[in-house]
Amino acid sequence: MTFNALQAYQEIWGALLDEEFQEALRRASTISQVRVEELLAERRELVELCREVAGIKRRSIDTLEELVERAYRSLEAVRAKPYLAGDAEEARRIIGGLVGSGKLVVMAKSMAAAEVGLRGYLESLGNEVWETDLGELLVQLEGSKPMHTTTPAVHMTRYKAIKLISEKLGVKLKGDSVEEAVKAVREFLRGKIVKADVGISGANALAADTGAIILVENESNIRLVTSTPPIHIALVPVDKIVPTLLDAVKVAIVQAAYTGLYPPTYISIIAGPSSTADIERVRVYGAQGPRELHVVLLDNGRLKALKDPLLKEQLRCIRCGRCQYECPVWVHTANKWGGPAYGGPMGLVWTAITVDPIEAGKLSYLCLGCGRCDASCPVEIPLSTILRHLKTMASRSS
Amino acid sequence: MLNPLDVVKVIEDNVRRYGFPFPVPREAVYSWAKPLRLLDRGSTMLYTGALYQLTPYIASIVEQLSAIEGSRVSGLALKLSGILSSLGVSRLIVRPKGDMVSVVERILTSIVSLLERAEVKVAYPYEDDMYSGVLLYDLGLDELFKEHAVKVYRALKSRGAELLVTVDPHTTHIMRSVYPRYVDGYDLEVKSYLEVLAERGVRLVREPSGGKVVIHDPCLYARFENVVEQPRMLLRTAGFDVLEPRRSRKMTYCCGGPIEGLTPKMAKMIAKTRLEELREKSGTIVTLCPICYANLRAVAEGDVEVIDIALVLSGAKP
Ligand code: SF4
Repeated sequence: MTFNALQAYQEIWGALLDEEFQEALRRASTISQVRVEELLAERRELVELCREVAGIKRRSIDTLEELVERAYRSLEAVRAKPYLAGDAEEARRIIGGLVGSGKLVVMAKSMAAAEVGLRGYLESLGNEVWETDLGELLVQLEGSKPMHTTTPAVHMTRYKAIKLISEKLGVKLKGDSVEEAVKAVREFLRGKIVKADVGISGANALAADTGAIILVENESNIRLVTSTPPIHIALVPVDKIVPTLLDAVKVAIVQAAYTGLYPPTYISIIAGPSSTADIERVRVYGAQGPRELHVVLLDNGRLKALKDPLLKEQLRCIRCGRCQYECPVWVHTANKWGGPAYGGPMGLVWTAITVDPIEAGKLSYLCLGCGRCDASCPVEIPLSTILRHLKTMASRSS
Repeated sequence: MLNPLDVVKVIEDNVRRYGFPFPVPREAVYSWAKPLRLLDRGSTMLYTGALYQLTPYIASIVEQLSAIEGSRVSGLALKLSGILSSLGVSRLIVRPKGDMVSVVERILTSIVSLLERAEVKVAYPYEDDMYSGVLLYDLGLDELFKEHAVKVYRALKSRGAELLVTVDPHTTHIMRSVYPRYVDGYDLEVKSYLEVLAERGVRLVREPSGGKVVIHDPCLYARFENVVEQPRMLLRTAGFDVLEPRRSRKMTYCCGGPIEGLTPKMAKMIAKTRLEELREKSGTIVTLCPICYANLRAVAEGDVEVIDIALVLSGAKP
């Protein structure tokens, strides 16, 4: 995937003039800031836990190459089928090969999927593909991209969302009731999920010792997507690998807390496909859940980033999106200030790692250097320093 | 929106040619100090890095850029170099925002007198009160920044400087935390005048009717240089009731200033958000940085007053 910084600047300008966009962001960011601030003030143990997670992630990144190998072997041991995708194209090819064409595919929100342009690719192969996270579905219906890491439709007001749902899903919604809209989407998606051939998810973390994938959520769509269709494919960026299952759960808890979701409504641990051995101890795969689990480990620039001392720091990121909500620039641009998938402080760096450091650097000039992102990040990533580093890379290239 | 790469280019060229991010007459930096007859050499040296003095020029340039940015609703990335020449660069030189020049002079003069009240005698490097190069650093122009920093360091050393007393957060940060990483053998100690005043116990005139003020922490003091309690303590000593906005101290909120040259529109939106938040607590907003001062003032309406801490502390409050 490629992108162009100047074009992004033009979109940003459009966003500044769009009052509905500005209003939606203002509301969402204020609510989110206050919520997390109160949560952390009330539960000091979470602040402790995030220090611990910062340490876990530091050590994981320091031994990343070795962890990838360990995770690969552990996945095999639990009868999941592992793959290593060097770049976005390879990830698309592997997953496209598994899905084939003419299938019904349901997806649980995954930034990695957005990173490799998975939905569009599977559609181009002749599949019917649906996002099942409400926010991500709205983004799909709008034909845009996720505007925030955990809340992709943050830029939409309820009016916009309801209009999209009624127009694009062909359901009749009266008035401006969010409840009605959620109910309509639930019915629509249920119909798709029960019939789906393949479910695709990302992961919040992957434990190298056990091959277990951890997924955290509040909608329960991830539970359905990963357990209803006969095949589950998980696309997992290699930076999400941590040494142990316990480490992985800790990462998920901190990630949820820093998005304001605490306690997390659901945490799923998935280690291998579903099976039963209840009849004569004969193991049969595909009991009530999927009979196949494929795990695609995605490199796409991450292992190369290990060699740049500053880009390497970003690999600790647990994608909580805190730095986006706290950034004075992001709250006016959302991920329009970013590349094809990621935006905002973390997103510019992820764009540099996974797409193009020079174009990401050109966008970094909008960084104020104010350091609010640095101060908010649960895993102590020096974001403003990295963004300045990207500026230097961009200016040296011109 | 302006094309940031063009802006960066213009700034780079200007620093190479004039030593400043845009053309400014040299005396504009040190003429305020002439009446004070400060020694031009000494170990304790007041170093402004020219940021306060540049602010009236920045404000005027931003006003002009703002008109250009707003006139192209299509949002086309504009060629800044073309615009600057069509505006005539000379117009940019001679027109600092008039009323701000005198405010800046009063602020700097007040800082010297506050230091005197704390029995700190400072020398001043006049022609060698050079621009620190903050913007070069912020824009990631590392090679040029390094070159510039070495020149500044040598000039200050040649005047006998050992302790630099700085007056704004950007210069404090760059001289204390950044120069050591770029200049070999860097050995200057750096303190903000607010730290010096707090440390040496300045005898402030206590305002009988101080009243309520709200403090706006600049990002660099609060998050990078740990200058947080000193200004509060000084304001309280001077008899003011210091109120905190929702986002303060380490989690303070930016005034938008750093991107005013790229997108004045967004910088203003950020400043407005901050101003409203501050205003909820008090109509008297105390700033500690010239960029914050100019940006918040530019969006202040009605009975809101934005005032620099040096003027508040020296009792020169209008
Ligand atoms: S950089 Fe830090 S704050 Fe931003 S998404 Fe990643 S972990 Fe969260």
